[in-house]
Amino acid sequence: MEQDLLSAPAPSFPSLPEAPDPDAEWVTLVLRVNGMEHQVRVRTQETLLDALRNRVGLIDIREGCGVGMCGACTVLVDDRIVSGCLMLAMQAEGREIVTVEGLLGPAGELHPVQDAFVEHTGFQCSYCTPGFVVATKALLDEEPQADRDQASAYLGGNLCRCGSYVKILDAVMDARQRLMSDGGGHRARDASGGDSNETSRGDGAPAPPAG
Amino acid sequence: MVAARTVRGPLAPKNRSLMTVSSAGSQRRPGMIDARERVTGRVPYVMDVAVPGMLHAKLLRSVAAHARIGRIDTSRARTLPGVVAVLTGDEIAERAGVFPYFGPVFRDQPALAIDKVRFVGEPVAAVAAVDADTAAEALDLIDVEYEELPAVFDAREALESGAPLLHEGPPRIGQTFADVIIHAQGGTNVCNSFRLRKGNVEDGFARATHVFEDEFSSPPVQHVPLETHVAVASFTGGQLTIWSSTQIPYIVRSQLAEMFGLPASRVRVIVLTLGGGYGAKCYPKIEPITAILAKVTGKPVRLHLTREEEFVTVTKHGVSIRMKTGLDGNGRILARQSTCWFNTGAYADIGPRLIKNGGYGTGGPHAIDNVWVDSYAIYTNLPPAGAFRGYGISQAAWAYETQMDMIAERLAMDPLELRRINLLKDGDTVMTGEPIEDAHFHELLDEAARRIGWDFTDWQSGRTLLDGGRKARAKGLSCIIKGTVTPSTSTAAAKLNDDGSLQVLTSSVEMGQGLQTAMAFLASEAMALPIERISISSPDTDFTPYDQQTSSSRSTQAMGGAIVGAIEEIKAKLRALASEQLEIAPDDLEFANGRILPKGAPDRGLDYGEVIRRDRAGNIQGSGTFQTKGGLDPETGLGIGSVHWHQAAGAAEVEVDLETGHITVLRYHAGVYSGRTINPVQAELQTEGNVAFGLGQALYEEMLFDNGQLQNGNLGDYMIASIEDMPADLSIHVLEHLEAREIHGIGETSLPPVMPAIGNAVYRATGVRIRDLPLTPEKVLRGLQELRDGKMGGSASSADASGERELEGAAA
Repeated sequence: MEQDLLSAPAPSFPSLPEAPDPDAEWVTLVLRVNGMEHQVRVRTQETLLDALRNRVGLIDIREGCGVGMCGACTVLVDDRIVSGCLMLAMQAEGREIVTVEGLLGPAGELHPVQDAFVEHTGFQCSYCTPGFVVATKALLDEEPQADRDQASAYLGGNLCRCGSYVKILDAVMDARQRLMSDGGGHRARDASGGDSNETSRGDGAPAPPAG
Repeated sequence: MVAARTVRGPLAPKNRSLMTVSSAGSQRRPGMIDARERVTGRVPYVMDVAVPGMLHAKLLRSVAAHARIGRIDTSRARTLPGVVAVLTGDEIAERAGVFPYFGPVFRDQPALAIDKVRFVGEPVAAVAAVDADTAAEALDLIDVEYEELPAVFDAREALESGAPLLHEGPPRIGQTFADVIIHAQGGTNVCNSFRLRKGNVEDGFARATHVFEDEFSSPPVQHVPLETHVAVASFTGGQLTIWSSTQIPYIVRSQLAEMFGLPASRVRVIVLTLGGGYGAKCYPKIEPITAILAKVTGKPVRLHLTREEEFVTVTKHGVSIRMKTGLDGNGRILARQSTCWFNTGAYADIGPRLIKNGGYGTGGPHAIDNVWVDSYAIYTNLPPAGAFRGYGISQAAWAYETQMDMIAERLAMDPLELRRINLLKDGDTVMTGEPIEDAHFHELLDEAARRIGWDFTDWQSGRTLLDGGRKARAKGLSCIIKGTVTPSTSTAAAKLNDDGSLQVLTSSVEMGQGLQTAMAFLASEAMALPIERISISSPDTDFTPYDQQTSSSRSTQAMGGAIVGAIEEIKAKLRALASEQLEIAPDDLEFANGRILPKGAPDRGLDYGEVIRRDRAGNIQGSGTFQTKGGLDPETGLGIGSVHWHQAAGAAEVEVDLETGHITVLRYHAGVYSGRTINPVQAELQTEGNVAFGLGQALYEEMLFDNGQLQNGNLGDYMIASIEDMPADLSIHVLEHLEAREIHGIGETSLPPVMPAIGNAVYRATGVRIRDLPLTPEKVLRGLQELRDGKMGGSASSADASGERELEGAAA
């Protein structure tokens, strides 16, 4: 249940930039999101989540809890996963922000992680899906050979109330295969993946019970 | 880990190729038709709706559990730049010209508190401002004087004489659902009651060899849809348009029409996909105040609840159930008597109806000739309780399936065998008195026992010790019955366009259960048209026909039936037109892959679109209605409780750390009867989701109140199941029997078995019988301590356990 603070390395971000006027309520920033720059005017206490939704106009980052516990607003900031509700917009200036939309290829083709989530239907209401997809991408960047248990630990901070967890893990393991086999080409789709009804779960080894 | 796969019934369906998810060929079907939009974050929710000129609303909520509202000073808030309107409950009738109360059965809930507040978190004032931050800032500038009143939080305390009264005066009963039974008196905190009188329980207990009486409780929990409630309302030209994250657009429409004195035709409710519902989004919640603010300001208004607000908007009913069960010497149940005290919170919401299902539900999936139930919805100063996945059956099943194991131990019987003796078979009468057909409890439970490796020898040797006795493993079983709302009505319309594509117009709500995909599969099969040529609408009451509710696990059967009916009408018209055009008798035409074909001469066939174009018909329309009949007698509770009965079984293996009390669910098996599965992928997802939902309720979930103030209303303090909680070994059994020619909804059915299956396993692992959910480590440790102290029964419950009593015909 707890957020897995150990396995997900906490990114260290610099302290807040010096504000020209410490009493200022508003500030103008340039946010670089999915490769495009957006000049936005935000409140100084505004979260990255609110800035991306309300100023940049993205709908693929969503608030679930507002306190960093559900992972629905997970985005990549300089390739590290961040809860958009826990970071101020001002802290993200000058950094590379990537949301799930930013994982698409130049012609709109799905990222292998997205392909795998489609293949296994790793979602129901899909409100949490962008967060899971982004977190999975980060996991497989950090740990390309991650096994099911490692994936489970890494994704412990992303909640899916519909409980699509089994198929999410199926998708993560499939995404690992896709990424390893296509060397990051983001093209090949395993057309022989079979339907998820018939997919064997895991590697057949008994899972150690959690203490 | 063990491979999990869906096992199907013994018979091969007709036209199986149309239904099967196959990895080969073009018939391969997606798990969800808009999967691409969902993994790219592009599927729009109501949260994403923005209307030009839109204001943003925030609600000031009560800090008192029960208080008279004195003066409310809004003057400072009104002067804050950016604030457009500040509204209090007393001003609603005057400034908006609306009837300020709503509720799906009783009109007891004000859009904003009037005269008094009844729970901590009740909206007291509303602000509409240019942005949400400004609106929130304005809330801090509103001063409310509360004159505190005595409050009551426990349902049974609320029944005592002299208990604080929540609602004065007679209940305002409004138009409601056909199945609702009302026994409301007013003047007490009994919101509603339900009674079931089947057979003669006194006689049954008199003949019983064993009579056991025990008490069980389930706490209030919250649905926690990751998308909180959100609505955008707009008034233009005397028409109210509202985008709402609701599961029931037509009830939102009728309630808003009633409040605003508008014809239903002037209220338009639009729903996009929901970010989860689970019952939380049934019936109006935030729509009334959002619409009122739109009327008062003359501008579109958006209200989106925070997570903390969501927690106090609606909950699952907390309940205490006292259950007396009498059996003969062979373990056959002769009589059962239950009293259910459902805590319905400060406002009725759908509690008056839920206590019926939760009440009769205590009869369980057992053939019992004599059943007596008294079930109460009781007002208290807690947030309103309402519909919650399982709809009272989870609470009922927690009681009867826990008691079944307790009885089995007292009788030194195998709990599987005790269940087998009593489970319903075809022709037995269910608790509401009608004979059941299509009963598959034995099949489901036997399969569950097989999958978990059920190996009962006796009650002393049910567990395996590990780590030098530090950890214990054991298994538990459960089996449940659940009804679906009856009678009920769904209607649908469809248009076959002149390019041969089909549009289906439906007011059923996609909330992650795969409604639109299932409807597309059914429409594809009925119309003989590829899925790619079919679109399924979202609800828009200006265009999509009536649907009673997207809940109660009814949509695939009910809306599916309506859509197939609409398509049959289209096909009849299409057949007539093609018959003229081809000069072939209508009966000699058949439909295949978007074409209408003369039997035996498929090359002479016509595309659907060509038939329409040749006739210059424009399009061909059809409409369909699916309606079930039934209902219960208000005095006896007997009748048709459900058009058919949903059935499920569960089996769990747990490991309990005897030093810390920590419980790990190692293995779980969920079995559920679907009749016929429309989308196997979604059937698995819904069932796996029920396991996750049930795990949370079994082990963690409980809303903790201190004098009515919620202590854990956020996702830091309130634990729901994460990916790490899932059993390493999870198997799913979706049982089909195609010969029954029925579709059984499976959205909720496999949830109620989860909690008692785990609880029963924990008991066998520890000897600690926990009667009150959730199964926390503290309760396990306390129970273990009591066992060491030599107290009998291993009860970790605060409820008194009367255990076995040899009674002589004393049914009270």
